[in-house]
Amino acid sequence: MPRKKAVAESLRSFPRSYISTEANKTGSWRFLKPRYEEKTAPCSAACPAGEDIARVEILTTQGMFKEAWQTILRENPFPAVCGRVCYHPCESRCNRGEFDEAIAIHNIERFLADTAGRDELKPSLERLPSKKQKIAVVGAGPSGLSAAYFLALLGYGCDVFEASEEPGGILRWGIPLYRLPLAALRREVAQIQGLGVRIFTGKTLSKGFIDEAKGRYDAVFIGCGHYRSGDIGVPGENLEGVEDGLKFLQKMRKGDRVTLESPVAVIGGGNSAVDVARCAVRLGGRAIIVYRRRRQDMPAFPGEVDSALEEGVELMELLAPAKVERDGKDLVLHVRRMKVTGQDEKGRGIVAPDGRKTDKIRVRRIFSAIGEGPEAPWLQPPKGEKSAGVLENCLLLPRGKDPVVLYGGDLTAAIKSVVNAVASGKEAAIALDTLFREGPKAVENVLKNVRVGGGPALSMEAYLKGPRGERSPHVVAYSEINQDYFQLARRLSQPRLLIVERRRTFEEVELRVSANIAIREAERCFHCGLCDQCDNCFYFCPDLAVIRDDGVHRRSINYDYCKGCGVCVVECPRNAMALEEEKL
Amino acid sequence: MQLDVQDREYMYSGHVACPGCGAAVAMRFLLKALGDKVIMVLPACCWSIIAGPYPQSTLRIPVIHSAFETGGAVASGVRAALDMKGDKETTVVTWAGDGGTFDIGFQALSGAVERNEDFIYVCYDNEAYMNTGVQRSSSTPYGAWTTTTPGTEWKKMRKKNIVEALVAHRIPYAATANIAFLEDLTRKVKKAKETKGSRFLHIYASCPTGWKLPSEMAIKIARMAVQTNIFPLYEVEGGIKYTINYKPKEYPVREYFKLQGRFSHLTDKDLAQIQEMVNEDWEMLLRKAGEHS
Amino acid sequence: MKKVLEGSQAVAEAVRLAGVGVISAYPITPQTHIVEQLSTYCADGTMNAKFLRVESEHSALAALIGSATSGIRTFTATSGQGLALMHEILHWTSGARLPIVMAEVNRALAPGWNIWVDQTDSLAQRDTGWIQFYCENGQETLDTTLQAYRLAELVNLPVMVVLDAFYLSHTYEPVDVPDQKKVDRFLPPYAPKFQADTKNPCAFGPLVAPDNYMEMRYDIARAMDDTLERFPQVEDEYARLFGRRYGAMEPVMCRDADIVLLTSGTVTSTTRLVVKNLRKKGEKAGLLKLKMLRPFPVEEVREALKGAKKVAVIDRNFSFGASGIFAQELRAALCNLPKHPLVFGYIAGIGGRDVTPALIEDVYWKTKKNKLPDKESVWMGLKEVSDAARRSGS
Repeated sequence: MPRKKAVAESLRSFPRSYISTEANKTGSWRFLKPRYEEKTAPCSAACPAGEDIARVEILTTQGMFKEAWQTILRENPFPAVCGRVCYHPCESRCNRGEFDEAIAIHNIERFLADTAGRDELKPSLERLPSKKQKIAVVGAGPSGLSAAYFLALLGYGCDVFEASEEPGGILRWGIPLYRLPLAALRREVAQIQGLGVRIFTGKTLSKGFIDEAKGRYDAVFIGCGHYRSGDIGVPGENLEGVEDGLKFLQKMRKGDRVTLESPVAVIGGGNSAVDVARCAVRLGGRAIIVYRRRRQDMPAFPGEVDSALEEGVELMELLAPAKVERDGKDLVLHVRRMKVTGQDEKGRGIVAPDGRKTDKIRVRRIFSAIGEGPEAPWLQPPKGEKSAGVLENCLLLPRGKDPVVLYGGDLTAAIKSVVNAVASGKEAAIALDTLFREGPKAVENVLKNVRVGGGPALSMEAYLKGPRGERSPHVVAYSEINQDYFQLARRLSQPRLLIVERRRTFEEVELRVSANIAIREAERCFHCGLCDQCDNCFYFCPDLAVIRDDGVHRRSINYDYCKGCGVCVVECPRNAMALEEEKL
Repeated sequence: MQLDVQDREYMYSGHVACPGCGAAVAMRFLLKALGDKVIMVLPACCWSIIAGPYPQSTLRIPVIHSAFETGGAVASGVRAALDMKGDKETTVVTWAGDGGTFDIGFQALSGAVERNEDFIYVCYDNEAYMNTGVQRSSSTPYGAWTTTTPGTEWKKMRKKNIVEALVAHRIPYAATANIAFLEDLTRKVKKAKETKGSRFLHIYASCPTGWKLPSEMAIKIARMAVQTNIFPLYEVEGGIKYTINYKPKEYPVREYFKLQGRFSHLTDKDLAQIQEMVNEDWEMLLRKAGEHS
Repeated sequence: MKKVLEGSQAVAEAVRLAGVGVISAYPITPQTHIVEQLSTYCADGTMNAKFLRVESEHSALAALIGSATSGIRTFTATSGQGLALMHEILHWTSGARLPIVMAEVNRALAPGWNIWVDQTDSLAQRDTGWIQFYCENGQETLDTTLQAYRLAELVNLPVMVVLDAFYLSHTYEPVDVPDQKKVDRFLPPYAPKFQADTKNPCAFGPLVAPDNYMEMRYDIARAMDDTLERFPQVEDEYARLFGRRYGAMEPVMCRDADIVLLTSGTVTSTTRLVVKNLRKKGEKAGLLKLKMLRPFPVEEVREALKGAKKVAVIDRNFSFGASGIFAQELRAALCNLPKHPLVFGYIAGIGGRDVTPALIEDVYWKTKKNKLPDKESVWMGLKEVSDAARRSGS
């Protein structure tokens, strides 16, 4: 062999590496396998409408306000409304609340809806093709409008019949302007009409309507709500100056000129009572709420009670009305003193008369705001009937003949609130659609697959086979959040009108927050159970087996190399991954 | 997390590190922070194996494997050659384990630093001779089990403070770093890259295998080491100026020790004593940084 | 240009002429003059090279692993304890196929501390894969060092140029220092066959499993075989330019010799005198100077000794439990020849003790007298151990 070649040959086998290690498929080492598994955030499980709240927050942090707004609209057509008036059970279940302070979810919801409104955005929502069945909806309140909205998304034509001259129900005729301005409501009603829903105002229906509907409508949804306060049940309640609190609120919303002598007493402890009292203050008077239990037992939202007291409303606790008498221009309200004798299973106080102690309150007007009910008896849902399918806020009666009848809103809801009314409308739509396509016996099974976190709320997105349907119903607990990745941060401060201003105007009390503040607040959200692309998995994988791609979460695991060490799962701050045994 | 590093990876998958290997995470980010134009000297350690058997290499940079104790010396030679060839851009990096740094490699490291050789020496510390089967090194912490400190003979010597030893050389830049604190780590790598002369990085790299720790806790335990002041994050410039980078809130050492099987024999009394030792070292560090507790 | 130089300085001149880029060394007597001279050359700009003042010999050679792998011509020098300390890295250098050149000054190993000549230190490293040349005088030292670079870079094996402590390292002799331009024609700038390159990254010296390691080792063996052919070619080139050559071994009056004395290092110079005198006395004596120990020039040695009846090897070294090492090597080279001379082993000059002409002549007469070697190794010139010393040891 020639010399030169021989020498070169002697370097042929030489300790030098020159190819990559990628030929070693170290994935074969695995006995545990990680994967992305999105789970349910406690806020969305707590929301009666099942809004995908954690997802909304993620989109907000990314500045994708329109997408965030649409995410809400998939489950609730009234974000501008709920962002203002909802009692936000989501915030009570927020995991961040155990870390520092709960996320101000309702502020962000309102911000998103107001921004969409200001920018006049049109949402693009998933809809099914048109179906032949037609639905009649009685009452254009939150439950009726929601039912129509969701049915329209499912392809049904809906006719809504409203007795008054404008749709909105309690949103239009009950809740005062300082809580819900008219423009916000009108915008969201118009959006529902934009789906093809027809609203006929000034149409009071008679009790024969259900039978007459046969042949014209395949189902009737009754969501007429409560427009009558109950009787106080004491002598003198029919005296002049003793009025129905709800009727008073309606007059206020009609724009009728109302003069109010001062002081006024409001009997009751619910939101209506508080609304009446706060209106009275704004009309220049002194308002006294008279409640038979304690402040903490009041069914009114605590935030509302706080606001009322700030504005100067007086609260007299543990007093029950006994009798009303006239004394010249005044009304004398005789009350019995009550005392707490125990607690019921919800923690509310049980009260009984405190001996024979009584008191007298001298006022000019008395408003009753207790024991609400529907206007007409035929609108009352039948007692003792069971729904087809387990529905939290709604009653579905297949009846075996046309039309199917449903009840929703305050008539049947677990808690009498706007969001529960929305939930009842959605339940009605999903249950009805299932009933039409597969019959009443199929309803329960279908509902099981679209529950949020296994709870009462239903997800329309899941029902329409969206990605949310793939999510695990496991509700992420605070202990599953990796706190190492979060720092204490103050919750946003809700800007409000000054108290002196609030007392003399019906302008909205809670003011807007800026995009900056909304984003920062959304960034405080843990995003429980959802991947927000924080990249911890990508960075901490010792085998570079997490790759960024165009997949659902923009990340996927390269199982050729994943050794199943589990670091990604532990370092995911929000339990959006799972580790399971590898099948051998 | 937003890291100020290149998107480009300098490591391939398919390497044979144990599942959950902290050293693999440390190397990945060292290289991402250094970028191109690096020649690495790699004395005997776990990474000699992880780097890939012939003919494979898991790293995208030139690597010179070297004998166990020669990390500081070989790097000095590489630097001299590059200087003679007029190459001012390439960074010379030694990547060694604790054995090759604290013990057998200490002489060469000390020699190179005393000469202020222009290179970065990175010690990834898994606190024992892991590659040869978990034997004790001078970096093994007080209280640890290893195969050469078994049973009642668990290590009763404190962990050698390598950073202090090098600070005594007036090394231009020395810093501790930790795989659970990637932003801090990359900042320090970049700072080291910009500094001239000898630079030392002491990176805490958890070892689930040798510490008898579930592999998924690799990053968490690293974070706890900093949170308990067992492995404080700090840097020293010019051998004089100390800066502490992270001041954790009160976090007792107990949690850190309870998670690792290599400490399972420690009694409450031992843990209390260790807590005192950790407090003492922390106080000393605070004083050096001109701060008080 | 002819100068009067110490052996150390001859080395330094060769290193200067070779255009070495990185020198890394640790001081140890009697190598110190080499590194001091080079240090001065680096400091005053005579040489454009970096001098690494490392903290041990082990680090000295390790640093050169780094430099050579990065593609530059390198040099180190050591002696005795220093070489022993380098042992691990000697193996590494040849395994890594790096053309590093080292000047090694033969010095005795401790304990007792002994800085004088003894070949055991370099011979104990004969298995490390380094080419080894044993030099007799200053001129040969300079020439061999220059040739070492050419050879090393051709076959990719490291070269050890060995010189005796003091008798060569510190002895002044006339040495012709060649002209730089001529040297440049003999020794072109270093063109590495491989180097660490950020544009074409690879890993040097990775883990090699049994299924590949053997071939790598075989390649080193083949490179050593190649050296036997390459070295004469290098000497041809050198002789053309400078008029000097030495050969892997130099037979002197061996063709008709009955008894050949085999020597290495400076002992060879003394033995030349002795053989001349023996011849004058009518003795059929010959001398075989062994210069290249690794690779061992088996064929040449067999050829040179084919007429001899006996070979007397003078070893200034010893492998405990066996024999003098040159004798061992010779026996191994001859044993498979059906007819070969007897090998008589003599140990002399250990730890720097003088090897006089009288002692060498004594070796000759002893060899002539004995039909067969009565012992594997005969230690020459041992003193009687005194009673007092013996008692103190018990």
